Amino acid sequence: MSWAASPAAAAGGAVRGDEPPGPRRPTGRGRFAGGSLRVRSVSAFVSVAGTGIIWVALLGPVIALLGHLSWHAITTSLTAPGALDPLVISVESGLVTLAVLFGVCTPLAWMLARGKLPFPRVWETGVLCSLLLPPLVIGLLLVFMVGPYTPIGSLLADLHQSATNTFLALVIAEVYESAPYYILGAQSAFASVEPRLEQQAGLLGDRPRRVFRRVTLPLAAPGLAMSLSIAWARAMGAFGAVIIIAYNPMGIPLQIYTTLQETGLASALPYALVLLVVALPLPLAAYIWSARAGRRRRG
Amino acid sequence: MLDADVEVDRREFTVRAALQVAPGERLALFGPSGAGKTTLLEVIAGLVLPRRGHIELGGQVLTSTAPPVRAVPPWQRRVGLLRQDPGLFPHLSVRDNLCYAPSASPSEAELSSLASLLGIDSLLAAMPARLSGGQAHRVALGRLLLAHCDTLLLDEPYTGLDASLRRTLTHLVASLVAERSVPAILVTHELIDAQAFADRLAVLDRGDLLQVGAPDEVVLRPASRRVAELVGYLGFIPSGQTVAGVHPERVIPGAFGDRGLVLSGVVRACRPAGAGWEADLSVGDAAVTCRLPDKPPASGGEFAVTVLDPPYFGSDGSAVGSASAKDGEARTEQVRRL
Repeated sequence: MSWAASPAAAAGGAVRGDEPPGPRRPTGRGRFAGGSLRVRSVSAFVSVAGTGIIWVALLGPVIALLGHLSWHAITTSLTAPGALDPLVISVESGLVTLAVLFGVCTPLAWMLARGKLPFPRVWETGVLCSLLLPPLVIGLLLVFMVGPYTPIGSLLADLHQSATNTFLALVIAEVYESAPYYILGAQSAFASVEPRLEQQAGLLGDRPRRVFRRVTLPLAAPGLAMSLSIAWARAMGAFGAVIIIAYNPMGIPLQIYTTLQETGLASALPYALVLLVVALPLPLAAYIWSARAGRRRRG
Repeated sequence: MLDADVEVDRREFTVRAALQVAPGERLALFGPSGAGKTTLLEVIAGLVLPRRGHIELGGQVLTSTAPPVRAVPPWQRRVGLLRQDPGLFPHLSVRDNLCYAPSASPSEAELSSLASLLGIDSLLAAMPARLSGGQAHRVALGRLLLAHCDTLLLDEPYTGLDASLRRTLTHLVASLVAERSVPAILVTHELIDAQAFADRLAVLDRGDLLQVGAPDEVVLRPASRRVAELVGYLGFIPSGQTVAGVHPERVIPGAFGDRGLVLSGVVRACRPAGAGWEADLSVGDAAVTCRLPDKPPASGGEFAVTVLDPPYFGSDGSAVGSASAKDGEARTEQVRRL
């Protein structure tokens, strides 16, 4: 059989879709390393300079932090006995929070994205409500919900558990603070997966659960990773709800607050650096992984 | 054997169709956009549930709304559906796309022979984003073939591809359908694609199956005026109690009463069409469009043409059969007087 009709195409010629031609994706001279931005006109220069200024402005607090840290303060603060316990607590509770979010909120996000729920606006409003409530208020309301004198509280007491000032309470507070960010992000990640592809996988013989595992999840994965990293950032920095229902065990944000109150700013700041250093790798890895997945798909 | 007899409600009308497609047979479902063609395929694939219906494939009941009620889910139907959008999984390489179906576990030899048959053997490691439209379609087709589906449903798969690629793909699918002996249905709104593919042509309009027959028979002997309009008849000349259908490609210049209906009209306009000319004639009150090998006289000129063996339609729009020679002469006289 002859395929002479498309020798150029068979050689990998025509490229479809992802990369629009033209000046927006130039190659060659004038490229910024790793990027694809070329400064060719005054307006381009102004926009690049503006972007740079915004970036530096956003980094302002970090720059201030580095400027006000002294090596002496870091070593004194961080070498005190038990100084790094809050770090362990924060990372542990953050990871448990992510696991809970992924396991519990992913199905909800998928159903919201696929319109599987009746009255979708009602469900979405519910998610938005928990997003709009200030964390401090969430903490106060959680006391009414899971505090020791509530039905849930007494049920937990029967199980020799408590949802105030325990690791469980910390996780609950972090979940409530970060869940809406994850759900909304995951919903849009799932919505970006074409239902036609899922349908096609089904017609090829995959049951729905297998379709989810082989098609939906891998295609939504970069978006899910980004949503999880945002949720992680929220969980690591959770303060408002945490200070109300989980003053102990103490995570890093509360450690910063109590140190500030007890011994002053100089000894509190090193913990902020620790928070940054410890919290950054996971979202950064998610960024790198998403970018790689995108590059792989583009071939 | 694919046997489907279904009724599906759509917003504006109900799709009613009964189709039988034998193993190895190719049926083209032809009709205008929005006629319910895709709906019919989706019902067979199990993506849409019919209000009433019975679908059998290879002796197995897939859908039955009468007791015992049955609706086999899409993933158990072994129905291959190829759409205009090839639907390749963007996160998998061409090779992984080809081998996606759980029932597909091809040996390396089987995979490479199919890939070379489809002309995609050099692309196995490529990602779908790198493929051209035609390549993506060939991969999607290969994926269906490796899934060993019991029937092939093709939903306007060639839209957007160039003519030579369409022809090659059509021939390829036709030979594979014959080789594997599976029933195949092609949905299209292009008559030329339908004729190139099919053993049998079914015309669907607003949910109703108007005519099923051999590809040439449907065009030359449309069962009704509506079918005639759908398959390209552009002029309808009153002739006594009946109306003669004029297909622009069934017109020759000159008066040949023994070969069909002779029309004498005035040239209103003409323009180049392909390697010949297309002319608009006024015959009495009626307008006729015809394709001619040579340029007709300038606008306003008298011109006689013969419509080869035209179909005639009664006042209700149904065909009343072609004219016998004698009738034909009588009609010719009538029309001349117009």
